[in-house]
Amino acid sequence: MADVVFSSWGGKVVDNRQGGEPQPAVFKLPENYLGEGRISAFMGWDGIILYDREVDVVAMAAEYMKRVQEKYCCAKCTPGKRGTRVMMDTLARIVAGQGKERDLDTLTDLADLLENCKCTLCMTAARPILDSVKYFRSDYLAFMRGERTIRPAKGYHDKVTAPCTDRCPAHIDIPAYIEEIKEYRFDEALGTIRRNMPIPAVCGRVCPHPCEKSCRRALVDEPISIMVLKRVPADHEWMHHQQPPMQPKAPTGKKIMVVGAGPAGLTCAFYLALEGHQVKIIDMLSEPGGTVAVGIPDYRMPRQLLQREADIVAALGVEIEYGVKLGRDVTLAQLKEQYDAVFLGTGAFKSKPMGVEGEDQGYEGFSTGGIHYLRAVALGEPIETPKRVIVVGGGNTAIDCVRVALREGAEESILLYRRTRKEMPAEPYEVDDAEEEGVKFMFLALPTKLITENNKIVGVEVLKMELGEPDASGRRSPQPIPGSEYIIPCDLVIPAIGQDPDLDYLDQGDYGIKKTRWNSIVTNGGTMMTDNAGVFAGGDCEYGAMTVVVAVGHGRRAARTIHRYLTEGRVYLDEADAMEDIINGLGAFDKTENVGIAGGLHREHQPKIQGAERTQNYEEIELAMPESQAVREAERCLRCYRVGMLAVNG
Amino acid sequence: MSQSHALINLKIDGRDVQIAAGATILEAAETVGIKIPTLCYLKKISPTGACRVCVVEVAGADKPMTACNTRAVDGMAVTTQSEKLGAIRRQVVELLLVNHPLDCPVCDAGGECDLQDVCYGQDVTTQPFAAEDVNAPTIDHWPLIQQVPNRCILCEKCVKVCHEVIGADSLFLNEKGDKAFIDKDLAKCEFCGNCVQVCPTGTMISKPFKFKARPWELRKTPSVCTLCSAQCQVSFESKHGKVLRVTSEDGVTVNDGTLCVGGFFGHGYLNSEQRLTTPLINGQPVSWDTALGKVSSELARVRDANGGQAVAGLASGRLTNEENYLFQKLFRIALGSNNLDSPARFGLLRTIKVLRSQLGLTSSSRPLASIGNAEAVLVFGCDPTSEAPAVDWQVQLAHRKHDARLVVADPRRIKLAGQAEVFLQYRPGSEPQLAGALAKLIVTRGQADSAWLSQYVGNQSELLAYLDGIDVAAACTASGIDQALLEEAADHLGTAKSVAVIFGRAVTHAANAEESVAALANLALISGALQGDCGGVFPVADQGNTFGLLAAGVCPELLPGFQANAAAGADANGILAGIEKGEIKALYLAGCNPLVEFPVSGRWKAALAKLELLVVQDVLASEVTAMAGVVLPGAAGSEKSGSVISLDGRVNPLRKAVDAPGEARPDLAILAELFTALSGKPAPSEATLRQLTEPQPLAPGSGSLKGAIPALTTPATAELQLLVGKCPFHFGTVTTCSPANLELAPTGAVLINPADAKRLGVAEGDQLKVTGPVGSASGKAMITAKVPAGLLTAADHFADLNIQQIMPAGANCIAVTAVKA
Repeated sequence: MADVVFSSWGGKVVDNRQGGEPQPAVFKLPENYLGEGRISAFMGWDGIILYDREVDVVAMAAEYMKRVQEKYCCAKCTPGKRGTRVMMDTLARIVAGQGKERDLDTLTDLADLLENCKCTLCMTAARPILDSVKYFRSDYLAFMRGERTIRPAKGYHDKVTAPCTDRCPAHIDIPAYIEEIKEYRFDEALGTIRRNMPIPAVCGRVCPHPCEKSCRRALVDEPISIMVLKRVPADHEWMHHQQPPMQPKAPTGKKIMVVGAGPAGLTCAFYLALEGHQVKIIDMLSEPGGTVAVGIPDYRMPRQLLQREADIVAALGVEIEYGVKLGRDVTLAQLKEQYDAVFLGTGAFKSKPMGVEGEDQGYEGFSTGGIHYLRAVALGEPIETPKRVIVVGGGNTAIDCVRVALREGAEESILLYRRTRKEMPAEPYEVDDAEEEGVKFMFLALPTKLITENNKIVGVEVLKMELGEPDASGRRSPQPIPGSEYIIPCDLVIPAIGQDPDLDYLDQGDYGIKKTRWNSIVTNGGTMMTDNAGVFAGGDCEYGAMTVVVAVGHGRRAARTIHRYLTEGRVYLDEADAMEDIINGLGAFDKTENVGIAGGLHREHQPKIQGAERTQNYEEIELAMPESQAVREAERCLRCYRVGMLAVNG
Repeated sequence: MSQSHALINLKIDGRDVQIAAGATILEAAETVGIKIPTLCYLKKISPTGACRVCVVEVAGADKPMTACNTRAVDGMAVTTQSEKLGAIRRQVVELLLVNHPLDCPVCDAGGECDLQDVCYGQDVTTQPFAAEDVNAPTIDHWPLIQQVPNRCILCEKCVKVCHEVIGADSLFLNEKGDKAFIDKDLAKCEFCGNCVQVCPTGTMISKPFKFKARPWELRKTPSVCTLCSAQCQVSFESKHGKVLRVTSEDGVTVNDGTLCVGGFFGHGYLNSEQRLTTPLINGQPVSWDTALGKVSSELARVRDANGGQAVAGLASGRLTNEENYLFQKLFRIALGSNNLDSPARFGLLRTIKVLRSQLGLTSSSRPLASIGNAEAVLVFGCDPTSEAPAVDWQVQLAHRKHDARLVVADPRRIKLAGQAEVFLQYRPGSEPQLAGALAKLIVTRGQADSAWLSQYVGNQSELLAYLDGIDVAAACTASGIDQALLEEAADHLGTAKSVAVIFGRAVTHAANAEESVAALANLALISGALQGDCGGVFPVADQGNTFGLLAAGVCPELLPGFQANAAAGADANGILAGIEKGEIKALYLAGCNPLVEFPVSGRWKAALAKLELLVVQDVLASEVTAMAGVVLPGAAGSEKSGSVISLDGRVNPLRKAVDAPGEARPDLAILAELFTALSGKPAPSEATLRQLTEPQPLAPGSGSLKGAIPALTTPATAELQLLVGKCPFHFGTVTTCSPANLELAPTGAVLINPADAKRLGVAEGDQLKVTGPVGSASGKAMITAKVPAGLLTAADHFADLNIQQIMPAGANCIAVTAVKA
């Protein structure tokens, strides 16, 4: 990365314009913008970053403000709408050589006034302008004295984002849909969500919502309930029997095969179908949803809603065939031959081994894995859950297993985890829910040996652990306490350590598709295309077992690049994709920011069915949030929009 | 609004304030009389926070906060006035004024402009900012409303009222940045004029009012609008004796300042060329003495020669309670005739008889506002958007803001159907089965309150046995409704703690109206609509004072106060037959036009020609005044005093805003003079009449409510049917003389489904000839998916279409054939 010439990013000024020993400043910005050239400067919500002293900062400021006013300003507040207009015109006058020194005072005054905007779009857009006036005043004065004329960069590229949007792997325009909820416009809110995410009923329920970790409201009081607010408009459409309004474009005649009807596959198919392509999905299971369907119990994600999401995709003209497995019923070579492009969204369905003595012996009472146990229950396969069940693991799958075991008749359902509750990767509320239902937790316990009688599990030998120093991930790593072994009697052991993709189908031919050392598919440069032209991959099979929303993000990105591949014969990222990735690298959330507003408001919680009685059935536990409550929650949103723009020079 | 009722304490400008948690700083300040300047704030919509004028300082927060949308929290300390805040407010207003046109002298809002007031209040006297003028062109192609974007401050009040209060969702923000402007989806616009009413500047302008008057020249007379039975509280604003606009005030009126296309634009008929200004005999102007002398002498002659039964009278909901009372007294006492009736014969009278016998009701069971607080709303055979818009606004409030479940049952895909959780698009004729099946499902799922039912419903076991006998599957087949959907609807109604049951013209005017209303009354009992303070039963009538008319006893079988009358007398149908037979020789029409509003209007036309004497007392010239021997010009609602009764039983005083035009007189004065002339006795005073018409409410006691056992009618099997109802832009036969309403709907039309239109080879705007059992009518075809295939709809306001000429008495839906004319 080139040295920074000047930076005011984040309020920290690094000024190397006078030469000498360069002060360091490192930003996660790429050196080049696509194939266009070198990134010479970046201007945005947190200041200015300059890599090239030849960049005309005044011209860039004028261009930035013009884009903010004409392209992004929502016009929904006075300072934003008119203030940025006055700033845009003032800057235009200056670069045209007609500026007066007092114009700089106007810019400064307005930048102050814009701190009173309704949202942060125009407010933060004023900040780099203010910095430019402060640190590049002589450049401005040179324009005013007629000593300089405008030197625009070779290209400018911009992007509007928000911390939550940026953090969301599907990059949903979160502030927009929240604003629409606030305005009682649930249909519009759903339309906004569907621009990036076709399965809001799913992601409104079981998304791990990384967005909420980047919510600026949390810096004031508590984060916005972004995930649940995504469910509200989806529930609204469903509960009002409304037909989704999307209409596919005219048919293109291109045929695409999507392998896997999970979140990645459904998403990819949805956006390709909207473009007018003929899409077929095959799936090895008997119903849609992949891991969401058979790995997440109905009390968290009712499958009839998952089915509705798939029906919506099918209504766009997508054919879905169930019970067809890639590698078993059809080969990739055959698909390549019959279709113009193939998207692999085959998930991660192989349980990771637990690493204990005896797990490969095929004992009765030893489950092949949490994901298999959940799937068997979900599909109604004939499996029996005995009285005492032990589940090993600390993630969502482990939690789901212990809770399902209770619903399947276990009298005692125990979760073994080698660290403590605090380190569990599962969502805290799910851990609480499990406890409320009667699940027993044994922390700092490492299973070491399966205890069997007549080839049948009767117990697990466990070693007590204690927490040591934090490891690379920041979690304190558990250390065994020698000699602390003890035995827990049980009838069934379910390991729920994690899953890996099953990519055997790639070994059936010489496809040239690379795998990572974690046995996932390698794709290139954010295009989601593998080394085999026309074959794309996304979701768990590409990333390793990850989240629904990552799969959705992959599915959408792949649909965009597949569309270009099919219509232009070329796979590439466009400005929206590239800027999405560049800003994602830079980061749009500053967790140390002093937001400076009055807070004291708690986030709203949706009603839920309480108590252990809920283990009697698989009815959904979290109930629909009343719309008036959703509006109240939406009113807490700070609409943290921000615009970034980079300059490219040759 | 917060669900939490916990109280919090805060300090505003050093004063202690206690308020319910969830309130905003602005609301908290209001309670102690601290005024924070605002511009975009409007209480009845969600806070927007657009103008930023209401900034205040909150201790501990670095940045000023907007009072309108910042919730107060316990322990907060707020400062509303400071140098810093003043500077921000001033600068914000200065920005608003950048390129704001200097046309205040000719701007319609001049004198009532919030922007002017805020400038003045914030001492904005200079303009330090400059920007290129976007100079957006004025939008002039919308009917009735002009939009001047240059004057717009983008407060979004219009957008939000349109969406949140009206539920039309026609306005939206278009474009970005300084070019942004309020645009409209014309197809969704209801032309209610609320965008004009709430506009703080002269951006949204009423074309009919433009340049008519300066606001300060107008005299405001608080009164009520009588175009529909909801009776909104309005102000008639007049200048030089003419009503030039109608407004309504937020916060203090039952309609919270909201108006509809009738209230806002419909007053145009008052100043219409069609107004009757002098008495006429055979079309020639005469003096009042001559006219009234002729009427009294002729009526006396007919009475004396043939007995009172040779005289008949038809009044209407366009008269006040007092006028209607005196009207029946004129006939019963002075003329000795019990031949009197009104358009209520075909609708509301039938409804009220059922509701009164079952539930003891002569209007709705609760005030209109109880709809807004109900947990579930059932709209059945009624298009409130058209029939009583104030009912629609309550449904919007309940459903949009208060989480109420909305179930709509109607043959037409009305606006509310698109907003409902469940839309039951039933076949006309199946109403009693559908309502019965809903009640049965609520009972069988154990959702009915049996303790309440046993206490209040005298024949509970009979009712339950009747419901038990209803075949839900058969009801679904008959009505064409999917059973799962019906069960879902029943669940919404059955699980709600309070239910509002609203029904209207598609039910009340139908051949099976009595059965349907009885079934809906049963459903109201079962669903708990009559319990508690929320929800209720709401019959909707089309004419403004139909409830008052019935209370005044304008029908042969009921005396004032709903006392039964055993005396013989002809009702509207009997009057028609009597005229045809020559037994009735003189007819007096008071605000009533059977040639357009009554079924078999063709027969009426022939019958009226046979009369020895036809007297028409009305406000507008029409086909019926053209036939009249004597025409007596009356006064419209804004031109007289008196009282009227709304659908929710409120007795509303009418206040006279202006004099009736020319020599036209208040109807009470006309009737009083005739009464005296014909009876030799003085007519009771207006005050006495007011007392006589005061309704006596009934309090339901134990066992006083009754379930009914209505017959389960079945739908007709015809390939094509016609349903007659109301046009959303017109009210009765008066707004057909209002230029504004005529701009929206100039003629009668027949609505037809695209599939039927295709089948019949009819294109939009073609003349469509519809033939029923008693005649044919031709009207312009309007192709729309709002009506289902197999159903045509038409409204009965227009003489040119005159759809009532093909309707038999006592029906609103008949089998028809249709061809391209």
